[in-house]
Parts: sequence; structure tokens; C-alpha cells
Amino acid sequence: MGGPFSAEERERLGRASVLLIGTGGLGSPVAYQLAAAGVGRIGLCDMDRVDFSNLQRQVLHFTDDVGRPKVESGAAKLHALAPDVVVESLPVAFTSENALELLSRFDLVIDGSDNFATRYLVNDACVLSHKPQVHGSIFRWDGQVTVFQPGEGPCYRCLYPSPPPPGSVPSCAEAGVIGVLPGFIGSLMAMEALKLLAGRSETLTGRLLIYNALDMDLAEVRVKRSPACPICGDAPTITGLIDYVAFCGGVSQ
Amino acid sequence: MSLTEQEVVRYSRHIILPEVGGRGQKKLKGASILLAGLGAAGSAAALYLAAAGVGHLTLWDGHLLTAQDLEGGIAHDRSRIGQPRARSAAVALRAINPAAQIDVLEREGDVAGAVAGRHLAVASSGDWQALSAAAAGSGAGLILYGTHGAEGAATALPAGFEVPDLAAARGLGLFPEENSVPAVAAAAGVIGVVAATEAVKLILGVGTPLAGRILRYDGWTARFWEEALR
Repeated sequence: MGGPFSAEERERLGRASVLLIGTGGLGSPVAYQLAAAGVGRIGLCDMDRVDFSNLQRQVLHFTDDVGRPKVESGAAKLHALAPDVVVESLPVAFTSENALELLSRFDLVIDGSDNFATRYLVNDACVLSHKPQVHGSIFRWDGQVTVFQPGEGPCYRCLYPSPPPPGSVPSCAEAGVIGVLPGFIGSLMAMEALKLLAGRSETLTGRLLIYNALDMDLAEVRVKRSPACPICGDAPTITGLIDYVAFCGGVSQ
Repeated sequence: MSLTEQEVVRYSRHIILPEVGGRGQKKLKGASILLAGLGAAGSAAALYLAAAGVGHLTLWDGHLLTAQDLEGGIAHDRSRIGQPRARSAAVALRAINPAAQIDVLEREGDVAGAVAGRHLAVASSGDWQALSAAAAGSGAGLILYGTHGAEGAATALPAGFEVPDLAAARGLGLFPEENSVPAVAAAAGVIGVVAATEAVKLILGVGTPLAGRILRYDGWTARFWEEALR
């Protein structure tokens, strides 16, 4: 209780590797915190370049980085903070074609993506590869965080069996997001990731944390694995990766 | 106080929110905040306040940056070890937001002088009793937050507050002079961003602030709970 990670735990963190899907709002604090905590190898997967509209929340990127690939900008900040960390820059889209190969090289996955197609893809790839995933999402002043550990709790599909109809959920660009929100959700995701890697047991597995920044209100919902889940249930019907853009109604945003 | 064309693009995700709008973004640009303490939690608060578009930030921390600070001080980097932490963080904040005025205070002491003229003081270090008196006296709001290992807490005192009985918050291990256990940085980040969030809400005048309540977080169990602060 109370103290920092033990020497043995820190050694485990040093041997661990994490794949970040997205180095934007959620990925920014996660990347900083994992590097600062001494995680040995961090993969940054993002094909976007830094835009002015990112800077109000994506603190991994500075004003001079506008126009630069996000993975390059992110790697520079992590090296300046923690020169020993190995950063793998992956300036590619995370797709059904490369997902399983990428996951095979990391211990844990952070889903910091901003669209449903990628969330289902990350989930299915993690279940099929038996890799733990820390999930977060943000919308205006609201956010959610949980941990999906195959075999020890639900997966994203147990919570959300089907994607929302295309066009029914506005994007960050359409709806807005308060800049501090991903800072909170992302820092929580980092803490959960560090506990999983260090071998601590009391994580958000099976618990969905729901946050409202406007009222500074936190609530928790217990979530269980669904026996009927098409990928982690008792009789899975999804046994390989599919076309997630089509699954989500043809829109990737 | 108006917004430039580039600022309208930079803050477009804010401006589109009904609770912010162009008017709120101008309030943030016109705001002056004293940020006392630039350790792990203060680093996170500082980065997010600068990114959010706060126009004037004064960083107050006289400690020299050590290698150990980098185990969580995400506003710092290795090339600045040995510099005062306020000066080190100012480098990152100016890189995030070159339009913001970032000042540095390195000397302990004149609390009333440090608070004078600010809309808000956000403190994870310093003499909280003196800060409360100074902020209450000058009409500034105050946000107090602290960490102890993977535990943290934060509370907000909106402008016009009566100096609370901070004794009620003692014994939590969160007072700057009490927190002898090094912070677990990611958990400190959570609490630092809570402080930044409360600061943004108080400047905008929106939502329900953490007034009269102390939000507590235990990173090891991922639990949040509240205690009353009178």
C-alpha cells in the first residue's frame, strides 16, 4: 500500500512491451507515462500527421510539430524523457492485414483509437492473440475506461455486440472534446497498463469506469463475459479477422 | 481579448462545445493562473493547462530537476536536469503553446505577492494554509491536489470561498509537507489532470466544481471516492 512499484515490479516493466494504437488524445498521456515508468519497449502505431486542431489536447505534440508524422513527433518526446526506452515507430494504419503480426511482438495493447472499426479490430485481434487490452474512449466531457483480459472477463463485443448505425455518433471534430478529458482517461489507462505489466491483480478487468468531467462524477459498472459473445463466448462464430469498415457500415470514422 | 484565425482552428474542438464556445475560449486566453509545484502531478496539470489555451501561467517551483523527477515529470526532459523545475517545465509549455505567457517563480516566500492578480492558484506544493489565506484575500479561486504513492486527492475552492478547515484534509498524506512517499507517476497524472479540469471549469464558469468535496483516487485498486471538506 502507498509506495511506488517494487524493484522486482520495475524490472518486469523494463522487460515489457506495449503497442499503442493511436498517438493522439489518449495515446499522448499513455506514451509519456509508460516511458517515464520505465516500460522497455513502446510501439507507436499512427499514420496521421500533427494538425493545429490536435494541440489543445494531444500534449505529446508541440506547435513546431504541425505537419510532422505523429509517430516521429511522439518518439522524439519519449527519447528526451527516457533515453533508454526503445520506441518502435509504426506510421501505418492498423488493419486486418497487419494486426495479428503487430500484436505478436507486444505484451499489451492500448486502444487509443477514435473510431468503431478500429475498436472492433483491436478487440478481435486481442482476443484471437490472447493479449490484454486497455480500452478508453472520450466524447465531449464524458469518458470510459476498462481492461479486457481474454479468459478473465468480458471483451469489447460483450459490452457492445454491434456498432452504432453509421452517422449516429458524431466524431470529435463534429462534437468537440474538452482538452483535459483525454488527459484524465489516458493517465488512468496508463496506470492500468502498468499494473497489468507489473503483475498486480486489482485492475479494471470486468469493471467499466464512467467519467463525467463537467460534474467531476465517477461511476462504475460491473461487466461480465457474455456466453453468447461471437468471439469470446462459449461457441465463437468469429475465428479470424474480418472487414471492420464494412462491419461498421462502411465508415471508418 | 479576441481569437486569431489560427487560434480558432487550434481550439476548434473546444469552440464547438456549447459549454466553451468562442466566448469561453477567450475567457481561457484572458485567464491568469499560478501553478505551484511541478513534480509528477504538477507536470500533467501544466501541460494540459497550456494546451487548453490558458493565456498566462506562472510556474512556481524552486527545486532543481533531478533524474528521479523524470520518472514522472512529463513536462521535463533529460537535457534540463539541474535546472529549476519551473524553468524546465516552462520550456515544454512554450513549445506546446507559444502564444501563452509563461512566467517562472523560483523563490519561496512571498505567497500573497505570488497570488496577487491571478484568477486562480493551482497548488500541489507550498504552504497551503498561507495560499488559502492569500487566495481568499485577493478573490482568487484555489485548487489543491496532492499525491502519496499511487493515491491522490484534489479539491476546488471557487473564488469568494471562505478559508476552509484544512485540518480535515490532514492525515491523508496529501499535504505537501506530508507526502514523503514518491508518487506513482501515472496515478499522479490522473490527479494532476483532475486539478487542470477543475481549473478550466472554474475559469469557464461551467459544470459542478469539486467544491466542498475532496475527490480521492487509489491507483492500485482503480477506485474513486469523495470526502466532505467544510
